[in-house]
Amino acid sequence: MTYLLGILQTIGVHTLLGLSAYLLLLTGQLSLAQVGFFAIGAYVSGILTVIFSWNIFAALALGSLMAGFFAFLVGFPALRVKGLMLVVATISFSEIVRLFFFNLSWRVNVNGVEVGPDSTQGFREIRYFAANGWEQIHIVGLIWFVVMVVMLALWWLDQVRAGAVLRAVGTDELAAQSSGINLTMVKVAAMTGGGVIAGIGGGLFAHSTTYVDHHTFVILLATFAVSYPIIGGLRSVIGTLLAVIFIQGFIIEGLRFMGDYRNLIFGLLIILVMNMRPQGLLDGHLVADIRKLLSKLTKGGKADA
Amino acid sequence: MNFDHIDIIQSLIDGVLFGSIYALIGLGFTLIFGAMHKLNLAYAASSIAGAYSGLMSLTIFGLPPLMAFIIGPIMSGVIGLILYFVCFRFMPRGNHLAPLMASIGALFFIDELIIHETSGSPMSFPAILPDAYFFLGEFGIRGDLLLVMGFSFILMAIVMLLLYRTKLGLGTRATSQQPVAALLCGIPIHRTNSATFILAGVLGGFAGCLLAASVGVLSPLLTLPLTVKGLIVTVIGGLGSIRGAIVAGFAVGAAESIFLLVRGVNERDIYVFLLLFLFLVLRPNGLFGTTINRD
Amino acid sequence: MKKFTKKIIVSAVSALLLTSGAAVAETEINIAGWGAKSGPLRSFGINSEAVMSAAVARVNEMGGVKLADGSMAKLTYNYSDSACNAEQAIAVARKEAAEGKSLIGIGPTCSGAAAAMFGVFQKQVDDTGDTGLQYPILTDTAVRNGLAKISQWTFRNTPNEPEMYDRLWAWIAENNPDLKTIYGGTETDQGHSNGTYSKVIVQAATRHGFTWATGDIEGLTGDIASGYKEVLNSSSNWLQADASFSVQARAFRRSNADVLIISSHPFTTCGMLKELSRQKVKPKMIVGLTSSSSAEVMKGCAAEAEGMIIPTSFAPITEAAAEVAALATANGGDADLHSAAVWENVMIIKQVIENVGITGDPDMIEQERRMIRDGLAALTETDGLLGKITRVQDEGEALKPYVFVQAQSGSWNVIHDPR
Repeated sequence: MTYLLGILQTIGVHTLLGLSAYLLLLTGQLSLAQVGFFAIGAYVSGILTVIFSWNIFAALALGSLMAGFFAFLVGFPALRVKGLMLVVATISFSEIVRLFFFNLSWRVNVNGVEVGPDSTQGFREIRYFAANGWEQIHIVGLIWFVVMVVMLALWWLDQVRAGAVLRAVGTDELAAQSSGINLTMVKVAAMTGGGVIAGIGGGLFAHSTTYVDHHTFVILLATFAVSYPIIGGLRSVIGTLLAVIFIQGFIIEGLRFMGDYRNLIFGLLIILVMNMRPQGLLDGHLVADIRKLLSKLTKGGKADA
Repeated sequence: MNFDHIDIIQSLIDGVLFGSIYALIGLGFTLIFGAMHKLNLAYAASSIAGAYSGLMSLTIFGLPPLMAFIIGPIMSGVIGLILYFVCFRFMPRGNHLAPLMASIGALFFIDELIIHETSGSPMSFPAILPDAYFFLGEFGIRGDLLLVMGFSFILMAIVMLLLYRTKLGLGTRATSQQPVAALLCGIPIHRTNSATFILAGVLGGFAGCLLAASVGVLSPLLTLPLTVKGLIVTVIGGLGSIRGAIVAGFAVGAAESIFLLVRGVNERDIYVFLLLFLFLVLRPNGLFGTTINRD
Repeated sequence: MKKFTKKIIVSAVSALLLTSGAAVAETEINIAGWGAKSGPLRSFGINSEAVMSAAVARVNEMGGVKLADGSMAKLTYNYSDSACNAEQAIAVARKEAAEGKSLIGIGPTCSGAAAAMFGVFQKQVDDTGDTGLQYPILTDTAVRNGLAKISQWTFRNTPNEPEMYDRLWAWIAENNPDLKTIYGGTETDQGHSNGTYSKVIVQAATRHGFTWATGDIEGLTGDIASGYKEVLNSSSNWLQADASFSVQARAFRRSNADVLIISSHPFTTCGMLKELSRQKVKPKMIVGLTSSSSAEVMKGCAAEAEGMIIPTSFAPITEAAAEVAALATANGGDADLHSAAVWENVMIIKQVIENVGITGDPDMIEQERRMIRDGLAALTETDGLLGKITRVQDEGEALKPYVFVQAQSGSWNVIHDPR
């Protein structure tokens, strides 16, 4: 059970990371800055609970707000460019953030023990959960509560005009602009939202693994962040969750018994999935099919009654 | 660290020379991006893989060290072709994300395959001109990197010739500008794209071997930094610009070297990335890019 | 391919042995191992598993482990890949603690993963307010300073670098009175190389009268960690994945130091050594980081490493150590200062099991894990491959015997044995 709950924590945190990239991908922007926001959330909320003994909820909130603030700041200049330019601009942002924390040494004496980020030696013992008597089930509950709130919010966004605007920008910028949509505002809003989501994910990550250092936040993690929504498909938030379960749950954890061959299969499976389902696991056809099936089932049910 | 103008000039020399490697990788990225407007993230990994296969052919068949520099690029070309087929060939044309993701998968696979074969431990790579280190007055110059620099100019010339003086080049440029129109004019798009991937692969293989030779050691640790450097060079040079990639390669090498000298290794990359970010925002078309190439 | 067929045969044979073993002795004691078997540090996992399988086989050849009732139980092990990744290392630890039948774990090889993993364990035993994992760990490989004290459930059997470098510099000073000045650099983005360089090696050299070649460093005395920030600023450093060392090597050359220090892992150690030889820098002596005293440096740059001196806690100089080295090679790995500790760990575990007397009953596993932990904490001395290992009880660390090795024509040879 502890094991399963642990995996659920990982899946939850990575879903948040994926959803933050998902929001931006809706507007057609491929951003590798998500890992930068994730790192800001992780370090800020970790520093707050460890050095300033803040309550976890307040720390997570401030961490995600800080990440959102930086997303807003970096969004204006970065989103002037797109495509490959944006990929490289966002890589530079993430690397600057990572290198900032690589250089950050902030050691404070709390109750006779030196704590805090110690540059290369990493930021150890972010043990708020264990030290405050949280059981695994509570941590999982918190993480999944956040995941559910974010997923519902994004789902709701897709039902109202805002979602249509986002997708309009993603489908055809020129057309969207001619119909009076302020492109910069929409993209920066998506970036900020993505920053907030990644920030809270980062805070939960730091507290669930108890340790972060700059190696955690390399560009590799940013490619994972965009991988989830791309593999899952951009039709629905469920796609991202499916992709995280596929990668973290199935390939990384489920295939551990394959030992040496697990990581070789990892890359091959991604190539295979993209060739077979270029629109993602949960693409438009599948969503339509499921809808049809559901309506058939409910109709069938009625006829029987 | 204390330094004077001599140190600054010296690190500029070091940086520009080492930048030749970045230039070569950037050249390959530019070729592929110019032809298809799609990103192949497995490109640097395939270059390193080429260098590994060159090295392994030496130990397996007992060939002379020079053969690594021939077999490596050939293998990279083959890998390039395979990458085209598994990551790009069968993807819907308008979809940019799926081939990108597939190439990330290929990056993981190639990296892990190398790690699997070598346990991830560094391997010694034959050096070119190991003893050529010139002292010019107060300055030291690496002979092997001078050679690499010459090489990158020659390769650039060859690529330019291929693109602007041959039928294949015409096809590549046509495909890159208007794929549908090119197809209607009877240009075999897939064959053209395959040729571009092979050409870029061979270039990358050269770059991989030259990098390995100039470090003297080959390690899977090199793939990710090389991927990032290649992307940076491509965008600074201007997407699709051949001379831009070469100039940007030298510029990035020089910037790294100067910041290393002035700010130390811990802050070096912060300044490099900050400069890059500003450059992108202020000059989004790169050094030599045109607005048409903007994507 | 050969390796693969061999693996199949080995696993088939061990499967046969396991089933036949199960038929004879009904109780089995299981230990779990995990570490990096994918990613650039894959050699860590390969080597650790190779030594672990040899050690377990040896215990069983000697009849297995003795249980509380005097009967003998077979020892079994399983090894998982956790890829130098914090989340994966934690996942395996949770899996073993919650679902596994293992009595104790040996892992997760990488220091960063260990720092994270140890954090999810209960900090103090019997602290009911702390919900961390309760499962004993006796780790190998992860050598970064001060990890084991993160939790009272975690122990290490890794070399004690402050003592090793102290004795190394004392020995250099004694035998080479003409050597006076030092200069060096480290791979700053790796916790181990950076910490050991800036807090241990340079201070130890200062303690034994060596002076910094480019002028005194502010705050640097013989005390551990004194002036470590200034030490880093005065040195010429590089990063883990750097490929160009021109600027750094030039600083090394300019320093004109008698002794150069290169504190980094094999890949950049080789890159730096090659650039030094290109720039024709010929110091009187080069001192390296413990982690570089491995087969990897010899694969990457045997010629350039010639003469480099490193203190290490493993060398095939005793009969037992030579045997472990041979067994590891037969299992497709290498025994070095990291992986050879796994052999000692398995033997320590056997000794603790026999000391505390357990039943091996799966229903009692939680109590018996606790007994193992207490047994480990109570140890004052254990047998190692190079001699007696002293346990530092309140920190969960070890003081291991060590030797000084030098790279000589493609292999590490012992040049001084202070035991």
